Amino acid sequence: MDQNEKTPLLSVKDLAISFGENRVLTSVSFDLRGFEALGVIGPNGAGKTVMLNILTGILKPSRGRIELCGNDVTRAGVSERANMGFGRTFQIPRSFENMTAYENILVGAVFGNGQSEKAAAAPAARILDEIGLGGRKRVFAGKLGLLDRKRLEIGIALAARPKVLLLDEAAGGLTESEVAEILAIVRRIKESGIGVIWIEHVLQTMMHGTDRVMLLAEGRSMVCGLPGEVMASREVEEVYLGVQCGRKRLDGN
Amino acid sequence: MGQRFWNIKTLCIVAAVAVLAFLPRYGSDYAVNIGILVFLYMSLGQMWNLLGGFAGLASLGQQIFVGLGGYTLALVTQEYGMGIAASFGIAVGVSVVFAYVISFPIFKMSGVYFTIGSWIVSEAILVFFRNWKFVHYDAGYNITAAYKIPMGALYLGALAIGVGSIALVYAVLRSKMGLALMAMRDNESAAEVRGVRLYRTKLFCFLISSAYTAVTGVVLYLNIAYVKPGAAFSIDWTVCMVFIAVIGGLGTIEGPIIGAVIYVILRQYLYNFPGISMIILGSVAVAIILLAPKGIMGAIRGRFGVELFSVRRRVDERLE
Repeated sequence: MDQNEKTPLLSVKDLAISFGENRVLTSVSFDLRGFEALGVIGPNGAGKTVMLNILTGILKPSRGRIELCGNDVTRAGVSERANMGFGRTFQIPRSFENMTAYENILVGAVFGNGQSEKAAAAPAARILDEIGLGGRKRVFAGKLGLLDRKRLEIGIALAARPKVLLLDEAAGGLTESEVAEILAIVRRIKESGIGVIWIEHVLQTMMHGTDRVMLLAEGRSMVCGLPGEVMASREVEEVYLGVQCGRKRLDGN
Repeated sequence: MGQRFWNIKTLCIVAAVAVLAFLPRYGSDYAVNIGILVFLYMSLGQMWNLLGGFAGLASLGQQIFVGLGGYTLALVTQEYGMGIAASFGIAVGVSVVFAYVISFPIFKMSGVYFTIGSWIVSEAILVFFRNWKFVHYDAGYNITAAYKIPMGALYLGALAIGVGSIALVYAVLRSKMGLALMAMRDNESAAEVRGVRLYRTKLFCFLISSAYTAVTGVVLYLNIAYVKPGAAFSIDWTVCMVFIAVIGGLGTIEGPIIGAVIYVILRQYLYNFPGISMIILGSVAVAIILLAPKGIMGAIRGRFGVELFSVRRRVDERLE
């Protein structure tokens, strides 16, 4: 058994958070290993983005523990987490609109990875090539289309050399061919050893882009396993697709 | 081609400063006085822009540092008989310490609460100076050392302050801190998630801006030659800083230059309309904001892509 299998890259235990009376997450637990992509599905309002906000330190959990490479990072601040190895993209891209694509990548490299601007120049140019923005280095982020902005967000996160990459609906709003491009990029990231957590409503990406899928519903991680098995599970049918509810109505109960 | 363009631009900027430096030789006293005001207000605008335009710190309390500059000049020259040059160093020290101390309470607030908090602190300082025996309460000081300075020398001092403010902001924005500030200007929370330390960046920015505002205050009071609490710590200073930065273009180096020229010229003209001058000034600000929400420089940049003082990080051509 190698080191990779002994200690998970990321270990989340019994995570919970409430906003006043509203208990958004009651108990979320999972492990993530390097070279692995974990898909997270769940109905709207299930707390998927809240979970990412807790993992990146934006929100503080009321209970639970987050370990990165065996170290407790539960109380670490937002920028500290970026330095520790949490990279993240947002559902609605939050690139720096009045900065060029190259400068956006520099921000990730300089502040996430602690490099000087000079040392970051060559890796930044390479990352832009890898994400398919090599020809648009000087274009302002605000002038890029949705696919390019999603690519750029992944690039900013990669420039920080993360251990774990958190993708919040990276394929949302994209066409089928564009989704395929994002899938290819994420696959390459995963193969480089980075652990990926991918929240998505585009189920095609969950089937083809992840190694395991976790269903998040009613504030907890309900089922976790191989994508095909989870998608076919009774829990997904009931909670995510509402099949049982439909069956009950047809039965007249 | 690119490098050549940069060289020509730098040459033009140096030539413009050199031409301005000779204004006292061929210009009227009125023109020289206008020049002094433009350079000093430009410096105030640049410093407020660094805070409000880049770091997201919309302070309404920067008059504290204008006042501290003025009072440092008065106390150093009148009470302690030291030279004017010493005022600059002491003003920097006093303002940095003061800014650091008040950063603890006001940095706990954000957004509009920070704005209100900074204003309340400045009002408290005003009340304190009015009731402080050591500074002669509300009577203030005649700064006699200022009378000995010829107008030409004052002009060159103001020019140095104005050019220095541009150079300082340019240097800050070209540094690592500048990269953080530009990211924060565009999206503060996203910058933090990417590893930018917001508190530390804002604090450095606040200290730099406050110190240089105090230095500008010293030269302003060399020109005014009389300091008293009501005027030195008046919110009018910050209102004009905001006006200059907003109409010129927030988050740009060129904005406060344009804003200061417009503000000073407008103020000169509005002396003829004492009762309604502020109404006209406010109307101009509203009109510009409506027509060009990103200020005049923001509109020019958006339409023509022009940047006189570019802080863009250029991709090394060898990497392409």
